[in-house]
Amino acid sequence: MRVIPYILFLLLVGMHVVFLRDVTSIYGVSPDLPILIVLLVALYKNDTVATWFGFAVGLVAFAALPERFGWYALLMAAVAFAACQVRERLNLESLKAKLLLVAGGVLLHGILIQLIDTAGSLAALWTLVPAVTVYTTVIAWLFFLFKEGTITFEKTKSIF
Amino acid sequence: MKWISNLFARYWRSVHFLIIFQLSLTFVFGGDQIASRVSGVVVGAFHYPFFMIRNTFVELSRVNQENQRLQQELVEFSTRFSRFEEMERENVRLRAILGFDPPAGYSLVPAKVISIAGDLVPTAAIINCGLNDSVEVDQPLINEQGLIGRVVTVASDVATVQLLTDPAHRVAVRIANSRDMGIAKFKPSQGMILDNVPVQANIKEGDLVVSSGLGGIYPPGLVVGTVVSVSRSEEEPFCDVHLETAADFNSLEELFILGMDEP
Repeated sequence: MRVIPYILFLLLVGMHVVFLRDVTSIYGVSPDLPILIVLLVALYKNDTVATWFGFAVGLVAFAALPERFGWYALLMAAVAFAACQVRERLNLESLKAKLLLVAGGVLLHGILIQLIDTAGSLAALWTLVPAVTVYTTVIAWLFFLFKEGTITFEKTKSIF
Repeated sequence: MKWISNLFARYWRSVHFLIIFQLSLTFVFGGDQIASRVSGVVVGAFHYPFFMIRNTFVELSRVNQENQRLQQELVEFSTRFSRFEEMERENVRLRAILGFDPPAGYSLVPAKVISIAGDLVPTAAIINCGLNDSVEVDQPLINEQGLIGRVVTVASDVATVQLLTDPAHRVAVRIANSRDMGIAKFKPSQGMILDNVPVQANIKEGDLVVSSGLGGIYPPGLVVGTVVSVSRSEEEPFCDVHLETAADFNSLEELFILGMDEP
């Protein structure tokens, strides 16, 4: 039973790869949902679980590229492990600190992906990657606001 | 044995990371077969269901667009079909007209009815020919069924026609077989009737009534109608004759002006 949430997360990643990425795209910029999910798991679970989950997310997110998805899975696992280490050492509690960790993780992941990807261009490092980082961080911010109860469905409904 | 379990417990986390690292390297350097197989399983489990959902939506959207396009085409084609049907009816009418010969000494000028006037029955019509087409006052109008009326006013491009069904209109007629003469006129309460036919006249139902040529407007022999009833009274010197007009005045479209040929 404890595995079911992770399977649902993996299905969400699969959905993101197939069509959610296109649906959420704004001017060609889509949120990096796989790394966001990995970082969120890394924020709330131990490093073993986060690293395994990062590895699995890497496999699901890049399954269409079998010749390189080993590297991507390793990269995702490494980012999850690093995020866990940062969280344990800095004892992140505040919203800003968590957002900073998410932003840093997404940025690092984006840069490394561009370096691994043979089709990636260096120009994407200061155009696409920062935009994706901002977009993903905004989603993470909304997630934290919901999780901490700052935004609730009742409050949202009361606006209308 | 205890030292082995202690060792395993101490390095348990490292074993995990080592396995992950080893698996990743296997996928990278283990050859295409392993990577492709794993990729196939992952895609089948986590991508394929969403491919199906996306394709269903794409297909629905395509079908919806196709449906809208077909509905638009259906409207266009039904409009064209109605036009073709109308053209077919016109074709039938024009073919019937082609077999119609004008009286000797007259030529036919085709005209189209552009307006009809009259309350219960049409009494006047406006046609699309006028002075520019050499139309003159008192020229008779006919169609393939029979006599229609005469031109009463002419403008440059249009003319007004007084129809047989105008109560003020009179036509000198005769019975085609017996040659008995009379005056055909329209009464709103009775319809087309024949006046001034003596009781001794040899007239019966079904007799054809044609213009007599007297009066100078209509040439002789134009079909006016058919006798539908004849009643005679010993006290009255004239028969009471009802006619059915040859032309259908409720569906006038193409007419012909009878123009007199130049001598």
